[in-house]
Amino acid sequence: MSNHAEILNFDVAALAEKIRAKDLSPVEITEAYLERIDAHQGRLLAYITVTADDARDAARKAEAEIMAGNWRGPFHGIPIALKDLCNTRGVLTTGGSKILGDFVPNFDCTVWARLREAGAILLGKLNLHEFASGATNTNPHWGTCRNPHDLERIPGGSSGGSAAAIVAKMAAATIGTDTGGSIRIPAAFCGCVGMKQTWGRVSRFGVMPLADSLDHAGPITRTVRDAALMLEVIAGHDPHDSTSSNDPVPDYAQALTGDMKGVRVGFIKELITGLSDEVAHSFNGALRQMRILGADVDEVAVPHIETASIIATSIMLAEAAEYHEQWMRTRAHDYGADVRRMLEAGMMTPAIYYVRAQRSRAAILAETLKALDHFTVLAAPTAAIPAPRIDVGGRALSDNGHQIDMVASVLRFTAPFNVTGQPALAIPTGLAPNGLPLSMQIIGKPFDEATVFRVADAYERARGPLAEPKL
Amino acid sequence: MAKLNAETVKALALELFDYEFSDEAAGSVAHIVGAMANYSRRLHGIGLAGVQPPFGYPTLCAEAARLRRIV
Repeated sequence: MSNHAEILNFDVAALAEKIRAKDLSPVEITEAYLERIDAHQGRLLAYITVTADDARDAARKAEAEIMAGNWRGPFHGIPIALKDLCNTRGVLTTGGSKILGDFVPNFDCTVWARLREAGAILLGKLNLHEFASGATNTNPHWGTCRNPHDLERIPGGSSGGSAAAIVAKMAAATIGTDTGGSIRIPAAFCGCVGMKQTWGRVSRFGVMPLADSLDHAGPITRTVRDAALMLEVIAGHDPHDSTSSNDPVPDYAQALTGDMKGVRVGFIKELITGLSDEVAHSFNGALRQMRILGADVDEVAVPHIETASIIATSIMLAEAAEYHEQWMRTRAHDYGADVRRMLEAGMMTPAIYYVRAQRSRAAILAETLKALDHFTVLAAPTAAIPAPRIDVGGRALSDNGHQIDMVASVLRFTAPFNVTGQPALAIPTGLAPNGLPLSMQIIGKPFDEATVFRVADAYERARGPLAEPKL
Repeated sequence: MAKLNAETVKALALELFDYEFSDEAAGSVAHIVGAMANYSRRLHGIGLAGVQPPFGYPTLCAEAARLRRIV
């Protein structure tokens, strides 16, 4: 028996070892997390729904199975939570909206079905920007999720609850979704790991779409190892999603050698301008660290990568407007002002712009693949700034009170890899002098998540642990 | 810059979607779509001649096969 604080300090990999060895029970782990949620949910609003009773039932069942010698794998008995965009049978699934404010699905999304089958325990459903349609997680219907490092700052979005819950130790691992950066942006602003794997690597069945051709559902975790373990559970072909890949899923954990020798890291020249001083300093420090670890680090050009934001925006507006058209005709007043405006712009997006944006994707991917001819992985900051402030109007503000340009500050760095569909992992590179997390992305070749994990894990080991938020 | 104004946006939305824009929303959307028109034209500069859109026939067939299983 351990005390709750000690339990909460373990990542998934460590918990799994202790559960397997029967040193810790899923029941006491789940109780530790539910107690933590009780303590901090009121201030952080990381959750929309907490499924405490169901979690306790599932924990008792997992404990019985494990005690009988039927350990299923690393997620057996691990308490996790899902972005409330993921449909879950019998559990309120709102999409962070008023429109679906009382929607209880009768089916599970594949991501949850696979985690449940692996023995994971659902703690609840996590806050998000309404319908995943923004990067602040300022939600007019379910409350504004807060950054655990500074409650006056945004956690980032749209998967803000997923990242806030990880950093505040209100879940052992979570699922987010990413259309223009919605896994990586909150991971960067809150200080945890966010993995957007290759498009098609993970089924999107049962996850509400923002823009199908850019959407991904993936892990947000404390460590790279946990992200690797989680991706291994949720990845692979799904007959319910015809766009899911048939490529075999490797043993990602086996790639985590801690070794960066022979690795060539290309930092993207076009994405190291316009950075705040603290981001530039921290990113350069991370590159230095990788050199010390034996990597060969050099600059690489991806000449048209800056066009990716407009490509992603054109596609997202059109695809989102198509999905929401019926509700926009009948319930437009039930959307938050920013999401309604986005959908209105989508309704007026000509098909010509949409098709041209889709055709442009191959040109950008050709450029990143050319860069990867000479490098093992690419690197770039995840955002130009640390987490901005929330103001009363729900916008994100810089420290001098100006409204943040989210395209210039964030989407410019993350959206290119939704456009190309490549794997991109956000990993903290340290803390700014004011204690806010900073982050970089490691980007790989399509379907080569294993190499991304290898590089990120080796860096993470050398970087060491980050200071935790004072809650 | 595309010559899209608030009145045109309002008229199009009403005709196409039976959707009524407020004056403020129509003005804002006219600006957004106008900017998008400029950016979209600039995409020609990245060399799109002969580039296919990523809507492959195998995806179409796979989706049809999935629908046949559930319909």
